[in-house]
Amino acid sequence: MAALLRGVRAGRALRGLSSVVAAPTATTPQCSSLSRGFHRAAPRLQDDFKSDKPPPSSSSTTFHEHYQAHSAEQDNTATASHEGAAAEQASRPNTSYQDQSGEQGEEYETEEQLQARILTAALEFVPLHGWSMEAIASGAETLGLSSASTGMFNNGAGDLVLHFITQCNSQLTEILAEQHKQVQLGQAEPKATADFLRDAVETRLRMYIPYIESWPQAMSILLLPHNIPDSLKHLSTLVDDIWYYAGDRSTDMNWYTKRAALTGIYNTTELVMLQDSSPDFEDTWNFLDNRIQDVVNMASTAKQVQSTGEAVVQGLMGAAFTLKNLTGLNQRR
Amino acid sequence: MSASMRLLVRRAIRLSDTNIQISAAARAAARAAARSSSCRCFSDAAEDRSTHFGFETVPETEKAKRVYKVFENVAQRYDIMNDAMSLGIHRVWKDMLLHAMHPQPGVRLLDVAGGTGDISFRFLEYVRSQQERQKRRAARSMQTPSWQDISNNYSTEDEDGPLESRAVVCDINKEMLKVGKQKADSMGISTGLSWVVGDAEELPFDDDQFDIYTIAFGIRNVTHIDQALQEALRVLKPGGRFMCLEFSKVTNPVLARLYDAYSFQMIPVLGEVIAGDWKSYQYLVESIRKFPDQEEFTGMIEDAGFYCVQYRNLTGGVVALHSGFKL
Repeated sequence: MAALLRGVRAGRALRGLSSVVAAPTATTPQCSSLSRGFHRAAPRLQDDFKSDKPPPSSSSTTFHEHYQAHSAEQDNTATASHEGAAAEQASRPNTSYQDQSGEQGEEYETEEQLQARILTAALEFVPLHGWSMEAIASGAETLGLSSASTGMFNNGAGDLVLHFITQCNSQLTEILAEQHKQVQLGQAEPKATADFLRDAVETRLRMYIPYIESWPQAMSILLLPHNIPDSLKHLSTLVDDIWYYAGDRSTDMNWYTKRAALTGIYNTTELVMLQDSSPDFEDTWNFLDNRIQDVVNMASTAKQVQSTGEAVVQGLMGAAFTLKNLTGLNQRR
Repeated sequence: MSASMRLLVRRAIRLSDTNIQISAAARAAARAAARSSSCRCFSDAAEDRSTHFGFETVPETEKAKRVYKVFENVAQRYDIMNDAMSLGIHRVWKDMLLHAMHPQPGVRLLDVAGGTGDISFRFLEYVRSQQERQKRRAARSMQTPSWQDISNNYSTEDEDGPLESRAVVCDINKEMLKVGKQKADSMGISTGLSWVVGDAEELPFDDDQFDIYTIAFGIRNVTHIDQALQEALRVLKPGGRFMCLEFSKVTNPVLARLYDAYSFQMIPVLGEVIAGDWKSYQYLVESIRKFPDQEEFTGMIEDAGFYCVQYRNLTGGVVALHSGFKL
């Protein structure tokens, strides 16, 4: 009886062994090793196989964009060189002995991608549990993983918030790129800069509306010292993207002043949105309008001040010259 | 077939001899080893494979028995010796294991080589205090409940049942489990805790049973570490976590010298004075030296099929906390 059990277990172990991929391992104690792929446990998650190909490069849901680009590259080379094997593998996902180096084949998923999936699933539990490990645990459970897998996220709630921010930023970039393409194709009118900025910031802030009640908690998490570098990085890429699609190609001091202005507008509007109780956040959008008008006015006011100043200086010079004439200082005897 | 019969017969003979002291057992093992090496042509292939027992070399089949004897002898004084040898720091190590684990309510823990139950008690304590904190927070936020909240409360009152966390302590040694049960009774912990006799290389559990598998200061005593790791992978649920607390290589050379001096000079003496057993503690410090270092053990865990394997050095490398996930 015991021998029979042992035999059954040995058989299962052998099958398990054959589906484990031996990959080169990173020596750092971080678990974000690029070249590590793994095979999802086939019977449980087989339904997700076909629908969950590695994401195309335009919509990144992973943390660092260069990681994602790297893995996309590896995907391409792997699929190019193992076309026949990949086709076979798609139909026989359990045995992968022959493809030791093809960890980035189509049905494999890296640890980062799995973490991204868990965090995306966790987002729907945020209204219930807030931005916390409990939300991540509930998200993991919907994917069929034990709640102990939350241990993968060393930063805890910070990971969840940063993932959400990254997702929003990439969604915004997609929308702006789409609009840009429309304008290029001549199917839409190019917007004025002020309108473009207003629409972009409004679109981006509207993504917070489902989570607006717990957003103060998320903002406080982003302000924790170990999260500040990441959150500043995301904010600066966001502002840079918006200005880029608004058509800014400046290479002088303007580059900095424009981004600083938009960062200020964005942050203050976000804060206003937190305590806005008007229907559909009308007050917030009015506030946003006013701030953008302020900046635009400032720009034109600055120009006016400069030209007025020049005119005033010229007038004074003329008056001084006239005085000199009148008092006879200018005459040459 | 006949070879395994021979093995079983020899094991039965040794089992019947219960009065052997450890030094006598060492001599008997040496004789058995000499006998087996002298008549190689008749002996089984498994008998030729030998492994380390501290700094000695013994046949693999012999190691499990000798480890059993060691822990049988030290079981009664195990906790006191831990405190004396580590100057109480082992409590900090175990607390850090629990903090790294951060168990969510409702998880099932398997504590292998759990012996006297230190990890399991801390686990239950942690989960219970977390649940209490959550209840207090919920009560505080519910000071002025709306009608919606009150009606929700009525419908969710029985949901606390399935969120009960459970810990299973598994050990190959009955004496250690006995001591653990006595401790549990004296601490008044009874619900959510079970005690099972089992071998880490062949766990008596079905697949996909546990959320967290821990093995604290036990894996170096296992004869086939890779088999224990594979068993861990088997009994864990997908997404489950493997955590191992074990003595490891000290990275700092100065600290390493001090640590070596302390280990080989002080600890066996403490063992003789407090527990009356020099040899067991000699085995303990020797087995620490024979255990693979942090990176090598990380490789072994990854080979077994775990992902996202990391380790953290505690007390400068005296102890390492390894963690891996079944994904």
